[in-house]
Amino acid sequence: MKEYVLLLFFALCSAKPLIGPSYFTLKNIMLQDMEDADDDDNNNSLFPTREPILPLIPFDIFPVCPFGCQCYMRVVHCSDLGLTSIPSNIPLDTRMIDLQNNKIKEVKENDLKGLTSLYALALNNNKIFKIHPKAFQSTKKLRRLYLSHNQLTEIPDNLPKSLAELRIHANKVKKIHKEAFKGMKSLHVLEMSANPLHNAGIEPGAFEGVTVYHIRIAEAKLTSVPKELPSSLLELHLDDNKISMIELEDFIRYKDLQRLGLGNNKIKDVENGSLANTPSLREIHLERNKLKKVPPGLPYLKYLQVVFLHNNNIPKVGVNDFCPTERSMKKALYSGISLFNNPMKYWEVQPSTFRCILSRNSVQLGNLRK
Amino acid sequence: MKVSLIFLLLLPVCLAKPFHQKGLFDFMLEDEGSADIPATEEPIFPGLGPVCPFRCQCHLRVVQCSDLGLDKVPKDLPSDTTLLDLQNNKITEIKEGDFKHLKDLHALILVNNKISKISPAAFAPLKKLERLYLSKNNLKELPENMPKSLQELRAHENEITKLRKVVFNGLNQMIVVELGTNPLKSSGIENGAFQGMKKLSYIRISDSNITGIPRGLPPSLTELHLDGNKINKVDAESLNGLANLAKLGLSFNKITSVDNSTLANVPHLRELHLNNNELSKVPSGLAEHKYIQVVYLHNNKISSVGTNDFCPPGYNTKKASYSGVSLFSNPVQYWEIQPSTFRCVYERSAIQIGNYK
Repeated sequence: MKEYVLLLFFALCSAKPLIGPSYFTLKNIMLQDMEDADDDDNNNSLFPTREPILPLIPFDIFPVCPFGCQCYMRVVHCSDLGLTSIPSNIPLDTRMIDLQNNKIKEVKENDLKGLTSLYALALNNNKIFKIHPKAFQSTKKLRRLYLSHNQLTEIPDNLPKSLAELRIHANKVKKIHKEAFKGMKSLHVLEMSANPLHNAGIEPGAFEGVTVYHIRIAEAKLTSVPKELPSSLLELHLDDNKISMIELEDFIRYKDLQRLGLGNNKIKDVENGSLANTPSLREIHLERNKLKKVPPGLPYLKYLQVVFLHNNNIPKVGVNDFCPTERSMKKALYSGISLFNNPMKYWEVQPSTFRCILSRNSVQLGNLRK
Repeated sequence: MKVSLIFLLLLPVCLAKPFHQKGLFDFMLEDEGSADIPATEEPIFPGLGPVCPFRCQCHLRVVQCSDLGLDKVPKDLPSDTTLLDLQNNKITEIKEGDFKHLKDLHALILVNNKISKISPAAFAPLKKLERLYLSKNNLKELPENMPKSLQELRAHENEITKLRKVVFNGLNQMIVVELGTNPLKSSGIENGAFQGMKKLSYIRISDSNITGIPRGLPPSLTELHLDGNKINKVDAESLNGLANLAKLGLSFNKITSVDNSTLANVPHLRELHLNNNELSKVPSGLAEHKYIQVVYLHNNKISSVGTNDFCPPGYNTKKASYSGVSLFSNPVQYWEIQPSTFRCVYERSAIQIGNYK
């Protein structure tokens, strides 16, 4: 008899607490209705700004919301709660979940199950080292995924194809598989800086068919400009790497590039003709490198306006290094050229070197420290 | 997107006046004169006009500048920006002009910087700001003059020791205030500090040094989270008038007693977390309470449970049934609890008793 009682209690105790099933199912039905009513795909705003619905507490159908989180207007806020896993009772019509600054270690298979309206998911600043390959199976509308400041060692498999923005800054990513971005037709922004990524870690073909506009792989271990990034790139940021040289073919794929960040590398030389591949370039940052001369080809970049060359080893500037020689050639005026902290004597720079600048404030020379 | 980006970038070019030859050495001399620019600083070029700051992404009026090592707020942000994300940088100070022109800004994310100072006028231009996230900084106090349009304020993990009434007064759109993990003591919270916020629904001040539930909470409150503090007593008076309170989180405190009329003062409470405290008995008033559904009492010092502690003597008095009651890790032995104690619970998995070590 005693054993029987014990067993009974054991059964009771091992059961999960909470969530009266009665109102839970009722809520499910309601959510489905809501979803049909205002499923606005075009509204890309992260934070909808309609008048908030004040919870007037309809008691029998109290909104399902994890304790301590706030759920309103289909946004679930659960940041800074010390959570060790993704809460299980997230309303199924949720558009955005903020789980940043918790202690989540893993995204499990069913953690996001049924969240078919999810548009943005912030998991940054957790301890995630593992994401189940089926975790994102339901989230077919996910556009923004923030995974920065976690412990991931590779770009997770099977991320939603719908992603427009992926941020995976400051993880331990060493490898980008060939399939990592496969089918992500609308991926536009990719931020994966501060990862121990070598050039060899990017598998050939990893970016095939992807039209990313903005990639940042700063603070990594790159020794050259990766050659297989998407040809759609408008902005490429590779600052704080170990790139030693810009070669002729480096930008051959990136014809639309407008902004190029290569500051704080070890670049000694920009090979003649390499910048001719990027005719749309507007801004190039090459500060804090080891350049011995102004990169060749600048006068022919019609749209170029900003050139950062400070903190290099450039001993002199030629009169035609920046501006075209033929007067007839159209060229946007420079709005920013920095040359300070180079071993040059500024009084030896011919004033006509800067005949194509916007205003005299557009050039910063001097300040060479002894 | 591509077209608008190009347009933005071309704008300064189009606005540029035709080139005029200046005095030959003008700019060089100027440069010489301005030798006070620290050598390692970023160059400053005036007159570029509002463009997307280098390395940031600007898309659909969202300006995304997180994780860039910035030590100040970038200048000349596009004036139609609605969301500005500056998290994970090294910004130390918010200066007066940092957000001027950002009249459309709805959300400002400054989480995880090193901000210790906010100029009193910094937020003044932000007439539409609804969300202000200041968590993980070095603030000692919340800024005065926050926009009246604010709905959500997060300042988790700062060094805040003081909450003054004047800071919150008139913030009548505010719904959520999150101030957890600050070295905040009860004496640092001015009486009625939160009262000036007429719509306030959610307060969280967890993991701080509070010793009692703050007085003068606004009646609009639906959630109050004070877990991880040093509260030793639930004082009924501080909850008086909170007719809308639905969730009360008081776990991980040092609560030894709950005033008798506490539950009567919060007639619409649905969820009460009192786990990990020092309670010696089940709080009174649960049986008469109409809406309470979840009561966490595990990890306390409850040594006995009476048959009328949870359920009313007769039937049909309670409107909502319990969906979660936890009593495990208490000195009370489960076989000492009469089965009839939970006669008003229809879901047997709703009760967790055993596991006392």
